[in-house]
Amino acid sequence: MKILKTYRLEIIMLLPLVLYIIGFTFLPVMNTIFMSFQNPHTGAFPTFANYQYIFGRRDFNDAFWNTMIITGIGLTLEMTIGLVIALMLTKNFKGRGVFRSFLLIPMGVPTLVSAVTMTYIFNIHGYLNELLYRLHLIKIPVDWAGGGLKTLLMIVFADMWKVTPMVVLLLLAGLESIPGEVYEAASIDGASTWQTFRHVTLPLLKPSITMTLILRAIDAFRIFELPMVLAGKNTPVLSTYAYMEYNAYNNPYTSAAGSTILLVMILIFIFGYLFVSERNKEVI
Amino acid sequence: MVTKQDSDLLAKVIKFLFWPMAILVMFFLLVPVYIMVKVSLSAPQDILTQHPPFLIHNFTWNHWLKVLKSGNLWLPFQKSFVVATITTVIAIMVAAPAAYVISRMPKKVRYTVILSLFFTRMFPEVGIALPIAVNFIKLNLLDTYTGLILAHLVKVLPFIAWILVGTFETIPEDLEQAAMVDGASRWTALTKVVFPISLSGIAVAAIFTWLESWNEFTYALYLTLSQRSLPLQTYYYVLRGDWFQSAAYSTILTIPVALVTFLLQRYLKSGYLSGAIKG
Repeated sequence: MKILKTYRLEIIMLLPLVLYIIGFTFLPVMNTIFMSFQNPHTGAFPTFANYQYIFGRRDFNDAFWNTMIITGIGLTLEMTIGLVIALMLTKNFKGRGVFRSFLLIPMGVPTLVSAVTMTYIFNIHGYLNELLYRLHLIKIPVDWAGGGLKTLLMIVFADMWKVTPMVVLLLLAGLESIPGEVYEAASIDGASTWQTFRHVTLPLLKPSITMTLILRAIDAFRIFELPMVLAGKNTPVLSTYAYMEYNAYNNPYTSAAGSTILLVMILIFIFGYLFVSERNKEVI
Repeated sequence: MVTKQDSDLLAKVIKFLFWPMAILVMFFLLVPVYIMVKVSLSAPQDILTQHPPFLIHNFTWNHWLKVLKSGNLWLPFQKSFVVATITTVIAIMVAAPAAYVISRMPKKVRYTVILSLFFTRMFPEVGIALPIAVNFIKLNLLDTYTGLILAHLVKVLPFIAWILVGTFETIPEDLEQAAMVDGASRWTALTKVVFPISLSGIAVAAIFTWLESWNEFTYALYLTLSQRSLPLQTYYYVLRGDWFQSAAYSTILTIPVALVTFLLQRYLKSGYLSGAIKG
């Protein structure tokens, strides 16, 4: 009771936020997990019927692997290209300001809009096919949204365009916090460019890389707008699959099962990554 | 002094490739925006063809006039604008006091609280939106401003609280203590000293929160039957395959986001980036 009295003002100020997050984030998530184990017809709990149902669906299996592939390829490309561009920006060169301003362009475009404009580029009569045609690389237009790996690569490209600049700025902040003396020391010791990068830059940048990678991984697993606009029902990912189960098949219980699996995947990835990277701390 | 780093092979390759790479990157960054504006300003014969030209051959304002005159723009625009504004006001009122309290907690507790705010980002939006939508059907909140505002608060509250904790951390605690020594109550110290100083930080956070709501797509999709917000109206034209309308609507949707991003770019530091990484 004494705590309540001393910190009365603090508690009153904190309470609305805490209640809102509990009521509108935590409870809905619990509700979703609960629903995923509920029988759609009788409401009986617990049952694995919803999971059995979605595991038997081809759409779900496609959605699972599509999500994995988009996340895997997307994160690899975004982190690699993001790091290269961030390293370029650490150099002092003429036009650095212009280059930095260009990086802001995708950040000034909403994700939905980036998806819409990618449909103009990747349409069967779109600008990419026209460019390839004029370069005499193709004769028949490619149906980029037709499914398979090329559709996933299209989604990865759209996602890369939108988020790589943010990866760059996050990594650049990390790079700029590395003191210059470290590089001087490496240079005096006669380290080559590659050795400096591998044994000085990379280890010191690791906290930034971990943070960026985790943030990106969460959003890549949850990717929704881009596949929704670019590929529609043909190429589901887990988020859009969960939406389809609810919206097209009117089945909130199987949709909940899909969302729960997505949540479990995200948790496994984050804790798995943190576990491995903590254990290998000494190696890098 | 010629060090090894200036002369090894990798350094030479980097030097040689630097400008071609920089130009290529800038080209990729610019092209999609150019195409969006181009489509919205091109006559149909430039677009609805097997081989679209890369430059605008037949310029026209027609698509824009059609969008502005058709009457389909105003309602979605109003919905997005009102929802984003009310969401922002409520978010500030809820998050600012809480963020202040968090910023004055002992370091270890503060770290845990911030981490749990971050933890809410791990939940898939489709998993949060589903039970909210199911419940809102029963409460008749689909298609309403209230329903969408409640849902958008889910998205923006952790984001804005996180940013504001950072803002309040920069205000020294001595200031409020000095005010209290002078006889001010805790509440007066807060409202007369702390909040006025942090006003610019709160304003910037508010602007970015507004954009988060303005762009929001997933919750709007779950909670809408016919009263579309601006992002949904854009999506509707995408589904209909109407390039000109979708391009014009996309441009309208982009304008405030682009303006804020360029005008407030110096605030785009780690906190905002990690919060707004999806944009």
